[in-house]
Amino acid sequence: MKDIIAELHRLERAVLPVLQKCSSVEDIVKQSGMEKVEVLRALHWLKGKGLCEVKEDLTEIVELDKNGQLYKEKGLPEKRFLEAVKSKIALTSLMKRTNLSREEVNVSIGILKRNNWITVEKGKELFFEITKEGKGKLSKGFDEQVLLEKSFPLKLNEVDDKTFASLKKRSILKTGVKKAITATLTNEGKKIAGSSELKEKVVDRLTPEMIKTGKWQNLRSYNLEAPVPKVFFGKKQPYRRFLEEVRAKLIALGFKERDGPIVESEFWNMDALFMPQFHSARDIHDAYYVKEPEYATDLPRELVRKVKAVHEKGMPGSKGWRYEFDEKKTARLVLRSQDTSISPRTLASKELEVPGKYFQISRCFRYDVIDATHNADFDQIGGFVVAEGLNLRHLFGLLRMFAKEFCGTDEIKVVPSYFPFTEPSVGLYAKHPVIGWIELAGAGIFRPEMTKPLGVDKPVIAWGIGLGRVAMFKLGIKDIRQLYSHDLKYLRNAKHAYD
Amino acid sequence: MPTISFSYKDFEKLLGRKIPMDEFKDLVLLYAKAEVEDYDSKTAEIKLALDDTNLPYLWSVEGLARYFKGVFETEKGLTKFKVSSSKYDVIVDKSVEKVRPYIATFVASGKIDNYLLEQLIQFQEKFCEGYGRKRQKVSIGLYSSKKVKFPVHYKAAAPDSIKFVPLEMDKKILLSKVLELHPKGKQYGWIIKDFSAYPILVDSNNEVLSLVPIINSNFTGKLVVGDSELLFEATGTDEEAVNLAANIFAQNLYERGFKLQSITVHYNNKKVKSPHSFNEKIKIRQADVEVLTGLKLTHAQTKDLLERARYGVSDYTVSIPDYRKDILHVFDVIEDIAIMYGFNNIESAPLTNYTMGSPTKMNEFVDSVREIVLGLGFQEILSPILSNKAIIEEKMEVQDRGIVEISNPMSETYSAVRSWLTPIMMEVLSKNKHRDFPQKIFEQGLINVRKGQKIEDKEAIVLAISQTKTDFTEIKQCLDAIMNSLGVVSSVEPFDMGTFIKGRGGSIKVNGKAIGLIGEISPKVLSNWELEMPVTALEIDLSELKRIIS
Repeated sequence: MKDIIAELHRLERAVLPVLQKCSSVEDIVKQSGMEKVEVLRALHWLKGKGLCEVKEDLTEIVELDKNGQLYKEKGLPEKRFLEAVKSKIALTSLMKRTNLSREEVNVSIGILKRNNWITVEKGKELFFEITKEGKGKLSKGFDEQVLLEKSFPLKLNEVDDKTFASLKKRSILKTGVKKAITATLTNEGKKIAGSSELKEKVVDRLTPEMIKTGKWQNLRSYNLEAPVPKVFFGKKQPYRRFLEEVRAKLIALGFKERDGPIVESEFWNMDALFMPQFHSARDIHDAYYVKEPEYATDLPRELVRKVKAVHEKGMPGSKGWRYEFDEKKTARLVLRSQDTSISPRTLASKELEVPGKYFQISRCFRYDVIDATHNADFDQIGGFVVAEGLNLRHLFGLLRMFAKEFCGTDEIKVVPSYFPFTEPSVGLYAKHPVIGWIELAGAGIFRPEMTKPLGVDKPVIAWGIGLGRVAMFKLGIKDIRQLYSHDLKYLRNAKHAYD
Repeated sequence: MPTISFSYKDFEKLLGRKIPMDEFKDLVLLYAKAEVEDYDSKTAEIKLALDDTNLPYLWSVEGLARYFKGVFETEKGLTKFKVSSSKYDVIVDKSVEKVRPYIATFVASGKIDNYLLEQLIQFQEKFCEGYGRKRQKVSIGLYSSKKVKFPVHYKAAAPDSIKFVPLEMDKKILLSKVLELHPKGKQYGWIIKDFSAYPILVDSNNEVLSLVPIINSNFTGKLVVGDSELLFEATGTDEEAVNLAANIFAQNLYERGFKLQSITVHYNNKKVKSPHSFNEKIKIRQADVEVLTGLKLTHAQTKDLLERARYGVSDYTVSIPDYRKDILHVFDVIEDIAIMYGFNNIESAPLTNYTMGSPTKMNEFVDSVREIVLGLGFQEILSPILSNKAIIEEKMEVQDRGIVEISNPMSETYSAVRSWLTPIMMEVLSKNKHRDFPQKIFEQGLINVRKGQKIEDKEAIVLAISQTKTDFTEIKQCLDAIMNSLGVVSSVEPFDMGTFIKGRGGSIKVNGKAIGLIGEISPKVLSNWELEMPVTALEIDLSELKRIIS
């Protein structure tokens, strides 16, 4: 018993003695001077310790329905009606004066006529006049209005059945349920409630004062199993966290990160990649065009000239695309449609290191209908490797490494693919241990027609990996839109995903 | 990426051998850049998605079978269709020069059954949509040649000068009306609509064969099952592409046993026999093969692989089939060598060059700021970068936030690039009114700000707090925590804007430069977002801040 008392909370100690005399929560509140929530909390704990029993009784009560609250403030329609027909009045002006709805008017006419409080005259429209009885009623007042003034909820027996039935039909009153909570002490509870030890002063919280003075005896024991309120803490967005891991991995593999602008000229987005301006992937409906400004003004002129020349006339070893390169189109601004747009910028820059490995994780935009598998924007992961003597076999080696690092597998299929800016072009399928075969990467060796004008004469392996499906699997989501979820419940409760 | 359907039985017949479907699925992946999308074992109908948008000959069952004969070595080397000369002529009028100057054409006789007709039309459609760039670059017409009286004239006519009955219609209408009324006119009319005269094909009976590239005539331009002689015609703006269309069609029909007859095309300044053989050749050096693929092959091996890929080889000269026009560089040929060698037979080699990895300086900085904010107890958010003007400006009671708008948005919801992040936080809060408070959220990400004709890419960060007791003090504590951790001295100067309560919103300054905004969100803005809880926020332009402190 001593142990039980030692663990009792201040609130429990306050409620226990009161329970010897009262049982209903209302009474306990009155008697103890505690807040209702405190009483309820204490009862809940005591019940858990087997010191009291708590009973919940439901009793039927009468409450105001949706019209009830309204009529309580504005008055019953029949009352407002009668007040308005002091002299002969037409329906339209009555409605204007009282602001009653058509339905309310109909109900009122019924009641008032039945009781002979008004007379109705039919002409072009209805005319009403108050009767003697009506005038009497007005001075006597409406019982129902008096009823509405009472403080609700009322007990069922406080309203007579007939009145209740008619007011219920008019959505003025309704029945409800009230929870009455009562508590009674168990035998053990009785013992403790009467115990003198209960009155001993216990201390909940250790204060600096107690530590200083040494008076920290009587600290009560806690129930360590009791649940505590939730705390919301600083937490990374789960998908961004996943992308960070990818980024860290690529850096560990020796790749340098780069970035580029979201709004990009067609020159960097397409032309510098040796994609002809007539290519089918360059239809108006495959990219988002910027409204204003329409054209880039900072294109590198010399480079544009070189790229244009290769498109139009080729170069030693290549026929080129042989068409008229449109210099206005090359400056047109779009939202970058692929992350490869960043590669020519790096290849042409003075900072390019050979040998070098580069990557970017970048938001791209494609003209697509948004659904469970397509977002308005999406993240692409890609880059390139440049070094003397690189060839297709190294490209295969790179893909094998990616399958291992990002998919945890050695089981891969490397197949031919097509990208306008690489030759050869390769696709990588990898067998994820759980999801199964997925298309993990696309890669290739940049065409010489692309790299030469940018001033690079070493082979360049270009690669891009698609981790959407792996990310969704790791994060346990089915809808791609959830990658950018705004739901705090999901974000706060999302698990940290590990390999 | 085109998708085609055909009968797998027909494929096996053309190939001359049977292949189990499971094996075929792997083979098309490994050799033809294609994927089986669907196969109905009852009807033997197969649906194939083809990856290479530059290799249209593979978009037909005949082309695939021809290619796989090489893979299986049942037939190797260059193949060429045979064509005999006809007396037929097509006369090209000068008037089409500016509109659609080129035409390739021939006649083929043989049996046209229902399946073949479907295949011809399928290839015609795929070719014109993809390679022909929605008929603009190339369009193809097929006719029952017995109804045509040669010579045929290819010319341009004024839109209101000529009437004919287009396919699927029953009366003669003006060319201009075809663009207005016919479904194909509505779909493809844009290609010719701005010209003063439209290209047409007319025969010697003055019968219109076709309004090019829109629709054929209902009389001559309707190929039906049972026809025994068809007239092929491809017109376009690119001579090479037009000839390529004719060559692929001719090769396919030839392999189906059709007899081909050429047609003489009379241009203003030259006379050509169509179909036209490109006879294209390219030199290959053995060393190039190893440079690109890393494979050490003998010349005999290279020759064998090239012939399996259906090239002709004589010493180091490679003849390219007439049905291909995708070879720009010798690397294009070498890719085919590697494919025929089998990607599954190529051993991978490790990358041995030592390189040092590193993040961008910007991202290093961005991450250090994120770390501070996470330590302050904020939940991170990640949103789409696309948003719209109503969110970015109107609901925030501000104007001229330098939004970059999209001229062809797919939906109004995503019609602009966000130019600041505070509105995005309001959007998040408005979606979480029923979630537990306090709500402390932040997002770090890219924004675009337009200043006149310049667009700036910036990294930014925003913090927002929503709870009953949040106030300027609380949000300024966060600002101080960030700035102190970065070792930066910042100040806040009063700044009036609709977003914040007057007198409770300010501009964050470092070294006299404005780098952000901070304040209590105005009740007007809160009600725009239907929020009932106070919100405080701060946003920092990290690109600018980094520039100042580094």
